[in-house]
Amino acid sequence: MPESVENTTPTTESLPTGSEIPATEGLRFSSQAAGEPFEVAVLALQNLTIFPETVVPLGIGRPRSIAAVEAALSTQEKLLGCITVRPDRSDDTDAKQTDLYEVGTLVMIKRMERIDQGMRIIAQGTERIRVVEWKQEDPLLRAVVEILPEPRTVDADQVEAAKRNLQQMITEALALLPNVPPEVRLAVLGQVDATRLSYFLASILNLGVEEEQKMLEANTVDDLVRLAHTSLAREVEILQLRSKIASEAQTEMDKAQRDYVLRQQMRAIQKELGEDESGEAAEAEQLRERLEKAELPEEVRTEAERELKRMERLPPAAPDYHVIRTYLDFILELPWLKSSEDKLDLAEARRILDEDHYGLEDVKERILEFLAVIKLRPDTKSPILLFVGPPGVGKTSLGRSIARALGRQFERMSLGGVRDEAELRGHRRTYIGAMPGRIIQSIRRAAVNNPVLMLDEIDKLGNDYRGDPAAALLEILDPQQNNSFRDHYLDLPFDLSRIFFIATANQLGPIPAPLRDRMEIIRLAGYSDREKLEIAKRYLIPRQTTENGLNNAQLKIADDAIELIAARYTREAGVRQMERNIGSIARKVALKVAQGQAESVTVTAKEVREYLGAPQFYPEQARKELPAGVATGMAWTEMGGEVLFIEATLLPGGRGLTITGQLGEVMQESARAAQSYLWSHAAEFGIDPNIFKEFGVHLHVPAGAIPKDGPSAGVTITSALASLYTGRRVRPDTSMTGEITLSGLVFPIGGVKEKVLAAHRAGIRRIILPSRNEADVDDIPEDVKSELQLIFVSGIAEVLDAALEVLVANPPPSPSMLDAGRGRQPEPEPLTVKG
Amino acid sequence: MRKFDRDFSLIRTDRRVEPSGRLWNPAADVYRSSEGWIVKVDLAGVCMEELEIEIRNSNLNIRGCRKDTHIREGFTYHQMEITYSRFEKAIQFPAPIEGASIRQDYSDGFLIIDVRREQD
Repeated sequence: MPESVENTTPTTESLPTGSEIPATEGLRFSSQAAGEPFEVAVLALQNLTIFPETVVPLGIGRPRSIAAVEAALSTQEKLLGCITVRPDRSDDTDAKQTDLYEVGTLVMIKRMERIDQGMRIIAQGTERIRVVEWKQEDPLLRAVVEILPEPRTVDADQVEAAKRNLQQMITEALALLPNVPPEVRLAVLGQVDATRLSYFLASILNLGVEEEQKMLEANTVDDLVRLAHTSLAREVEILQLRSKIASEAQTEMDKAQRDYVLRQQMRAIQKELGEDESGEAAEAEQLRERLEKAELPEEVRTEAERELKRMERLPPAAPDYHVIRTYLDFILELPWLKSSEDKLDLAEARRILDEDHYGLEDVKERILEFLAVIKLRPDTKSPILLFVGPPGVGKTSLGRSIARALGRQFERMSLGGVRDEAELRGHRRTYIGAMPGRIIQSIRRAAVNNPVLMLDEIDKLGNDYRGDPAAALLEILDPQQNNSFRDHYLDLPFDLSRIFFIATANQLGPIPAPLRDRMEIIRLAGYSDREKLEIAKRYLIPRQTTENGLNNAQLKIADDAIELIAARYTREAGVRQMERNIGSIARKVALKVAQGQAESVTVTAKEVREYLGAPQFYPEQARKELPAGVATGMAWTEMGGEVLFIEATLLPGGRGLTITGQLGEVMQESARAAQSYLWSHAAEFGIDPNIFKEFGVHLHVPAGAIPKDGPSAGVTITSALASLYTGRRVRPDTSMTGEITLSGLVFPIGGVKEKVLAAHRAGIRRIILPSRNEADVDDIPEDVKSELQLIFVSGIAEVLDAALEVLVANPPPSPSMLDAGRGRQPEPEPLTVKG
Repeated sequence: MRKFDRDFSLIRTDRRVEPSGRLWNPAADVYRSSEGWIVKVDLAGVCMEELEIEIRNSNLNIRGCRKDTHIREGFTYHQMEITYSRFEKAIQFPAPIEGASIRQDYSDGFLIIDVRREQD
């Protein structure tokens, strides 16, 4: 029954074998000669592509499709064009001509049977066709089509290789699939022709219409095989993954695996689109391209090229490969030769500086001077500034303003707690996870080689056995050496000399002297109350108002309220706490406004308590009257200045000097020096010398819990003791500061501005200062200075003249009286005698 | 997600696609006789005038086409099982047959080809 062989499922017999058909003979089976268009009925295929030389059973249900098949059957050749509908259609209506692809397959209908309303046909793909012209759409699609030539082979060897690869993969896939029908198995493995194999794979694999169409439209065997290869590779990979998952008895795929599959698909798609850049060759190529485009100094280019060559020789799996890659990336990102233009408009710079900061005249002057120098001589080395001052006075933001005024990039790095030299200078590339140091990283972030680079908190550098970062800074901040700064990671010289370095510190003390020496020190003292008021009005209140969603009309804070906040709610030289307090007022007002309780709010001193609670600080105020033995001094703290009182009393029968109030070594010694000086000059000041022998002295400096140190209280201690011994009171409106020597000289001290401001704040109006501090007085704002009487002294005698009242208010007990008292023990006798 | 799911079935279950041979491949018997070969091909309904028979080396190639000549205006199929198609049949002989004389005959739906070796 030879006929039946044709019409049942194919067996091996029905498969072409080499002997039966000379396989390469390209026979044309269509009824028309190739290239000559002819008209044919067209069946629109939904979600299916028929390939030449495949047999497909089809169920036909739509009236239009049935009409097309009927039309085909009523010809002698039983030929039907099958063209797939483009996948992006969503509705279920009959497809229009434009919804169809242009390339399809001419099929021969082998069998037909009717079932219910529809029919079942077995169609055999014969040739690829292209629509030349559509003839009609209803009641059936008809088109004039032309036969497309069979895909031709471009590179036979490559096709053969790909085909073998395909077969190899198929074997793999079949091993994973238990339920493949044997005929499919045989059909696939027995196929010798690359075109047929590809078409067959395309029709059995689940590729989706777009992929399938792409394969159908392929005009060369090379393309066809490549597409088949890609698709199958992906399928096999998925299959392997699936079997792996199945073997792990996982019912649900976890996210990672899902990602993996998707990524594989993406890679396949990228390859398809020619966007595959993951290949190492492409990577190296890309780097080379970037390297050629980049502006680099010659030395850097040579080194980068050498590294790139090394990288190309390495397999991507080698650990060094990625090290080099990251390194090259980094080199290419650094702004070796790129710098920003400086804005050299002095008036504009002045405007910017004034806009951002109130006061700070000398700092602004310095910056303008520098700008002027750059303007005249553009290759000037940038200066290195060091801002020293208490927290919150605007050091960091001043740096930002400078950058803005110069038109440069601003980068900030905090050195607080940095204790490893490698953090600044990087690690050598031999270490795993090596990185460049912070300096180089900041420059990369800035993307220009002349940014303003702020080294914040330089006084808080640490150091330990890993090396001293301050030592690394010595090189970085030396204009003579830093034009060829070598980061350990880069191992190439980078020019830091165009960077405008600004360091900030709260204290000078912890900064090593050689480092201090390299920088121009600019002190930012605390602000006076007047300045704080201005700053609050100009900057803090507007800023907090907008930040809290209010406008100028909704929140007004009166001057007296600001003064109260500055005095009683904050204790600082800067304005940070004050801003926070203004912020919390603004928030509370915002709440009121938002709740509709108020349209606008004006906050005066009276209401401050309502918003901020009870005052938090009770600054020492000048006392109305001081008893003998008490003097007003001034101290410098990180928060600014403070007024303090030094109290001394006589201890009958006591010995020596008792000192309390957490005083440091230096302060204790100056107390001793004061006592010794008075003792040795007792006659001069009208003191009974016996008093030193028969009375001990207790010296106390409140508040007792706060440690104090320094020599600057020497003058105050002397005044207190002199007052005690002479009975002449110290004037309560006077405060004083200065170091003393045993020979009676008064030496200059630091922090004059802060101290004077604090005294002024406390209500003191006469201040005794060492004459050698006279120059510092220029820093004091004019409005404060005008309210003060400043007395400059160079010796202790002058101090006492200025400080002590002339009148003896309550004379000290005379030593002889005490003796008498002793004799009449135990009867108590008042120690003081009314004057 | 739909596309994703789709990717997880390697082989379509909704289609039973099969690879085909070169269209219709009519069955043929080959007899050996004292004078040569007799080839019988199952070619009912093929128009004899359109047959092409060709000898090349040890191959006998038969080409032709079976068309449905009974279909008429107004006919519709209720069922179709006969394959109408172009065909090519190649028969290989163990020895070259070039120069042999060919006689062809058509009886009872079979094409009979008498291949006689030329007497030396």
